[in-house]
Amino acid sequence: MREWIRVFKDGLSIENPLTVLMIGLCATLAVSTQLQGSFFMGIAVIFVLVMSNVLISMFRKFIPDEVRIPIFIVIIAAFVTIVDLFMKAFFPPIYAILGIWIPLIVVNCIILGRAEAFAYTNTVWLSIADGFGMGLGYTILIVVLATFRELFGTGKLMFLGATLISLPSGYKPPGILMLFPGAFILFGLLQALSRKYNEHVTRKAR
Amino acid sequence: MHTIANLGLLFIGAALINNILLTRFIALCSFIGISNDWQTSVGMSLSVIFVMMMASTATWVVWNYLLLPLGVGEFLYIPAFILIIAALVQFVEMYLRKYSPMLYRAMGIYLPLITTNCAVLAAATEVAKPGFFKMAIEYNYTFGEGLVYTLGVAAGYGFALLCFAAMRERLDIAPVPESLKGNPMSFITAGLLSLAYVGLAGWFGL
Repeated sequence: MREWIRVFKDGLSIENPLTVLMIGLCATLAVSTQLQGSFFMGIAVIFVLVMSNVLISMFRKFIPDEVRIPIFIVIIAAFVTIVDLFMKAFFPPIYAILGIWIPLIVVNCIILGRAEAFAYTNTVWLSIADGFGMGLGYTILIVVLATFRELFGTGKLMFLGATLISLPSGYKPPGILMLFPGAFILFGLLQALSRKYNEHVTRKAR
Repeated sequence: MHTIANLGLLFIGAALINNILLTRFIALCSFIGISNDWQTSVGMSLSVIFVMMMASTATWVVWNYLLLPLGVGEFLYIPAFILIIAALVQFVEMYLRKYSPMLYRAMGIYLPLITTNCAVLAAATEVAKPGFFKMAIEYNYTFGEGLVYTLGVAAGYGFALLCFAAMRERLDIAPVPESLKGNPMSFITAGLLSLAYVGLAGWFGL
């Protein structure tokens, strides 16, 4: 159990897929203009990551080494199709926001990367922890980024049609935050912050 | 004459105005991961052009002659296209290793990486299944137009990657605050580079 928690926590901090491993960035920066879209994107990634990790680590003894990448991809594509059709059927407004980013989860490096680096060599139980940790680390970061961008870029924060917070009406939102350059620059700053935090954590652990 | 002008617009629109890296955030992993070395960037750009053209050809044929007539496109396109790309990359790699060691040495190591390069999946899917991507004008590509479009996307990818690689080489010797060193600063630079691309938005009504 202790091992489970350690693997889970690694995904959140020192092996965070976005800020440390720097994989799966494309969708993060593109989707993070809105809080609700980011939230559902995070859930979709957690689902695909955990399910594919479980399936791959279950079959890891039967998957031949030479063709493992195509096999991983097919497993991942199957789960992504499930999410794609599920969202299209039950959450059409969310699907309209996320659009192509759902099918592109297939090539999201986080999922293939974890399949290759973790699930293929570890037990099912630990792979679940890894999937949850990595997925949650991803979700937290994308939600933080989206909260900041939506709140300061549009002046208010919406979630499922309800306004959570809105800034005073005199506030003039800087449009650059919602555009592509804003995402890059903000992510750079966020990464610098999280690096400081990780240094702090590792120093304390020693 | 009219068609030639059209093809030119299609190319420019795909390469510069809707640049896949800096205005769509697609394929960022390779953008950040590879661009710290000029030589590597050149190899990667060439490999992407090569693989993307082949992948688009294959997906266009499969979509128009197999998936669409059978009526299974809507839920099979993700697994089908990614499998085509993965298989194609594997074949190209084997072929190059056997028949063209020179070329293999130049792009061999990038080929496996391209499987998870979202740019290839995105462009190939857009060509086969237009409107998926809302990239340029919504459009039913004929085979030739699809190829021109793909070439534009790939050329735009290569150009942006090389620009960024050149900037990063300079960045290595620039005085940068301690906690921003390395990746965070690269993101901020990428933000400034993408600011230049934002200026192109809306040209020719694309």
